[in-house]
Amino acid sequence: MLNKEQIYQVIDFVVNQAVGYNVRVVVNSREEGLTRFANSEIHQNMFEDMTGVAITIQQGKKVSEIKTTRYDEEGLRLAVQETIDNLEFVPEGELELPLVESPEVLEVEEVNEELIDLFNIEERARLIKEGIDILDEGFKAFGALSYTMESFGYGNSKNVKRFASANTVKFSVLIDSDKGGSGYAEANSNLPDEIDITGSFTIAYDKAKMNQDPEQLEPGAYTVILEPLAVGEMVQYMAYMGFSAKSVQYKRSFLTGKLGELVLGKNITIIDDHTNEHTMTMPFDLEGYPRQKVMIIEDGVAKGLVYDTASAIKDGVETTGHSINMPGMGALPLHLTIVPGEESLQEIIANTEKGLLVTRFHYMNVVNPRQAILTALTRDGVFKIENGKLVGSVKNMRFTESMLDAFNNVETISSERQQVPSFRGTNYVPALKIKNFHFTGKTNV
Amino acid sequence: MREKLLAILKMLKLHQVDYADIRVNEIIEEKINTENLTVRDISTTFSKGYGIRVFVDGSMGFAGSQDFDKLEETALKAVRIARASRLAQRQAIRLSAKEVVVDHYQTPIGIDPFTISKKEKLDLLFKAEEEMRKHAKLFRTVGSMDFRKEEKIFADTEGSYITQKLYETGGGIEAIAANEQDMQGRSYPNSFRGNHGTAGWEYILDLKLVENAQKIAQEAEALLDAEECPSGVYDIIIDGSQLALQIHESIGHPVELDRVFGYEAGFAGTSFISPEMIGFQYGSEYVNVVADATVPGGLGTFGYDDDGVKGQRTEVITKGIFQNFISSRDTACLLNQPSNGTNRADGWGRTPIVRMTNINLLPGDRELDELIQGIEDGFYFCTNKSWSIDDKRLNFQFACEIAYQIKDGKLTGKIYKNPLYTGITPQFWGSCDGVCSEKYWTMFGTPNCGKGQPMQVAHVGHGAAPARFRKIKVGVADVK
Repeated sequence: MLNKEQIYQVIDFVVNQAVGYNVRVVVNSREEGLTRFANSEIHQNMFEDMTGVAITIQQGKKVSEIKTTRYDEEGLRLAVQETIDNLEFVPEGELELPLVESPEVLEVEEVNEELIDLFNIEERARLIKEGIDILDEGFKAFGALSYTMESFGYGNSKNVKRFASANTVKFSVLIDSDKGGSGYAEANSNLPDEIDITGSFTIAYDKAKMNQDPEQLEPGAYTVILEPLAVGEMVQYMAYMGFSAKSVQYKRSFLTGKLGELVLGKNITIIDDHTNEHTMTMPFDLEGYPRQKVMIIEDGVAKGLVYDTASAIKDGVETTGHSINMPGMGALPLHLTIVPGEESLQEIIANTEKGLLVTRFHYMNVVNPRQAILTALTRDGVFKIENGKLVGSVKNMRFTESMLDAFNNVETISSERQQVPSFRGTNYVPALKIKNFHFTGKTNV
Repeated sequence: MREKLLAILKMLKLHQVDYADIRVNEIIEEKINTENLTVRDISTTFSKGYGIRVFVDGSMGFAGSQDFDKLEETALKAVRIARASRLAQRQAIRLSAKEVVVDHYQTPIGIDPFTISKKEKLDLLFKAEEEMRKHAKLFRTVGSMDFRKEEKIFADTEGSYITQKLYETGGGIEAIAANEQDMQGRSYPNSFRGNHGTAGWEYILDLKLVENAQKIAQEAEALLDAEECPSGVYDIIIDGSQLALQIHESIGHPVELDRVFGYEAGFAGTSFISPEMIGFQYGSEYVNVVADATVPGGLGTFGYDDDGVKGQRTEVITKGIFQNFISSRDTACLLNQPSNGTNRADGWGRTPIVRMTNINLLPGDRELDELIQGIEDGFYFCTNKSWSIDDKRLNFQFACEIAYQIKDGKLTGKIYKNPLYTGITPQFWGSCDGVCSEKYWTMFGTPNCGKGQPMQVAHVGHGAAPARFRKIKVGVADVK
C-alpha cells in the first residue's frame, strides 16, 4: 500500500495534469488480512493490497469522474485525459460545487504499532486456535479475524491536502452446538486492550450453552433488552433512512418536516462524533471538508442532519463534512454515538420482571422509510427474562417495527457501550430496554 | 502475460503446493445516473489486478494485488498464509477432479455498450424522464444505466488456461411522488437500478424505457392517495420481478453448498437444507428450478467459473422435489461429486466462493388471466421494495411497490400501497398452484448479491414468470 508521501505524489501528479480545471483527488490505499474459520478450522485465509484513485474534474456545473486502480503515471495520465474529455459532452448538473479551501492541511495518523505483530498472519491463526481449544466436544466455532491498515488522502487544485491513516482489528465468533443453539460475540477496535479474542470466544460459548431447548413464542408485543450489536444495526439503518439532509430533501426521511420537534423519547440523544476515541478515525469527508460533530437527536428532539456540499447549498447552510462521495445518498453519519445511561446491562436484566434479551439481528432492511419501519430477525440467542433472571432461551423471531415507536418506548439505557461496525464507519452504542416491541413472525429454529 | 503467469505457477509447484491458480481481472464499469432531468453523476471505474490462490498440505491461502511487479512476492505470501492456516486445520481441503481446459469465452453481444456515447445514453434517460413527468405530478424522476466489461485470465497448476471477456448491461427508471405525509415510487423494469443482463447496448433498447414511463408515473402518483394494503391471509399472484428476488433468497441461497457446510455460518448464515435432504419436497409440482450459467443474456451467464469449471445447467428442483446443490470444487468434493461450476469471486482481490449463476423458475403453462380468474379475494403483487430472510433461509418478508386488488376472478382497478407478504420457505413454495407460460417469462438480473468476508457483491440472474400462491400471510398490521 502507499504511504503518505506516495499518496501526495499521486494527488500532485493528477492536479498537475489538469491545470486550469477544478480538480479533486481521493486516494484510498489499504491492506487487509482476513482469516475465516468454520467448523472449528480455518477454511479461508486471504490478503488484499488495493489502492484506488478517484479523480473528479469540475467545469462550472459540469462534473466528470473517473476511478482507477492504475496509479502509475501512465494510468493516471490516461484517467485524467478521459475525465477532461468527458466534460465536452457531460451536460451541466444542478449545482456548481465549491472546492474546499481551508484549512490547507489536515492530517491524522492513528496507527497502533502494537497491532501489526499481534495480529499478523500467523498470530491470527494462533489466536483462533487458542479460542477453538476452549470448546468442548459438541460445539463448533465460526467467524473471522481481520487486520486492516488503511489510508485516505485528499487533495485539490486549491492546494488543499488531507491525510488520515489507521489500523483496526475486527473479530466475530459464532459458537454453534450440535444440538442446535448458537451464541455470538464481536470485538472491534484499534486498541489492543479492547480486543480479547479468547474472551469473545467465551462470551459466544456461554451464550451457545445457554441457548438450548428454545421455547417458541407467539408474535406480539414484548419488552426486550437489545444488546449493543442489535442496537448498532438499528441505528445504522435509521441513519441510512433519515439522518442526512438529502433524505429530508427527498422526503424519504422519517424526520421530514419534523426538525425541532420531539420525535423520540426524551432519554434519547444521538450524536455523530468522530472525536470519540471509540469511533473510526476520519476527520474529513470525501469532499475534503473537516468533519463536524453533529447533534442529531438531543433529548428526543430532532436537532440536526448531516450534509455534503450539494445538500448544504440547497438548504443554504455549510456542509457538515459528511460526504461519502455517493451523490444519490448525499451524506452519511459514520460515527454515531448514543449517550449512555446509568445502569449496567446486568442491572437492567436484574431489574426486569419479564422480558427478552436479544443478542443481535439478522438481515435488517427498510420496510417504509417515511414511517421509519424496519424488519429483521433475531439471531444467535434470544433469552427469556423472568424476575430479573435469564430462565431459558427462545426461538428466533422477526420484528417489524417503527423506530419512532421503538425509540419512544426506551425504558432504560445501559451504561456500557460497544463499538459496532456500520456500513462504512463505526458506531458506539449501549444496550436498550424497550417496551411494547413488536415481533410479527416466528421461526422454528 | 501468459509466460509470466505460467512461471509463477511453476515456482509455486517448487514450493510443493497441492494446487494453485492465478486470476487476472481487468474491469471497466460505467455508471450513469440522472435525476429530475439533470445528470446526478456519471462515473467510470477501471480496476486491474490479480489474485493467487494456493492449497498447501490441504490448507488454503490467497493473496491479491494490483502490482504486477510483485507477482512472485504475492504468490509467496499466499503460500505463507496457507501454511498459517494449517495451525487451525482439522481436515485437509480437497478439490474434486475437473477437466483441464484451454479455451476462450466471450459474451455474445450485438453492440459494444462502450462504443455508444455517453450523450446518447443520457438523451435516452432524459427522454424517459420527460415522458414520466408529462403524465403525472411527480416529486422526482430518476434514470440509471450500468455497463461492465471484464477481461479475465485463469491459469492453474493442473494446466488449464482460460480467457473470458464478459459484458453486462443494465438500466431502469423510477417515478417518485411525495407530499408532506408520504412518498411512493414505481420502477421499471425493476426496482434498484432496473434490469441487468450479460448483453450489449441492444439490451437497453429492448427495455423500451420511454414506452413504459407513463404507466409507472401515473401509478406512483396514484399510490400517494391509495389505501394501505390490508393485513390477513390471501391468495396472491406475484409478478416475475418480485418472484425473481423470492427465488434468490429462498431457493438460490439455501442451495449454496458452502452455506450448507457452515462456511458462511459466522456471517451470511447457513441453510435449512442438508445433504440428506436430496429428494425433499421443496415446493409443489409446479415448482421447477434450474441453476443455469448457459442461458443467453442471464446476469449469471459465463463460460467458466473461477475454479476453471465450465458453466453448466443443473436441476435444482424438479416438480417440487429438491435435486441438487450448487457447488465449488472444494464443497462438491465433500459429497464426492464434481463441481457444477458456481465458484466465483467479485474481483481480483477476493477468493472465489459459491455464488448463484442464473437460478430460474421454469415457465409453466398458464395464462395470467387464468391465474387471476382463480382468485376470489386477493392481490397481484408487483416490484420489490424491501426484503429480509433469516439466517437459515426460512422466514422471509418482502414488501412490494404496489398491489392490485383481485375480486371474484378479476382485477378491480383498485391499487394498494405498502403491500408486504411473509412466510416460511417450503410452505410458501408448496402453496404455488400455477406458473405463467414462457410468454410471460423474463430473465431478471440481481447485481447486488452480498456474501463472504470481506464482502463480495455477485451479479446473478433469475428467470421467472408470474405465479400464484394460496393462503399467504399479507401485512403485519394485525399483530398487536
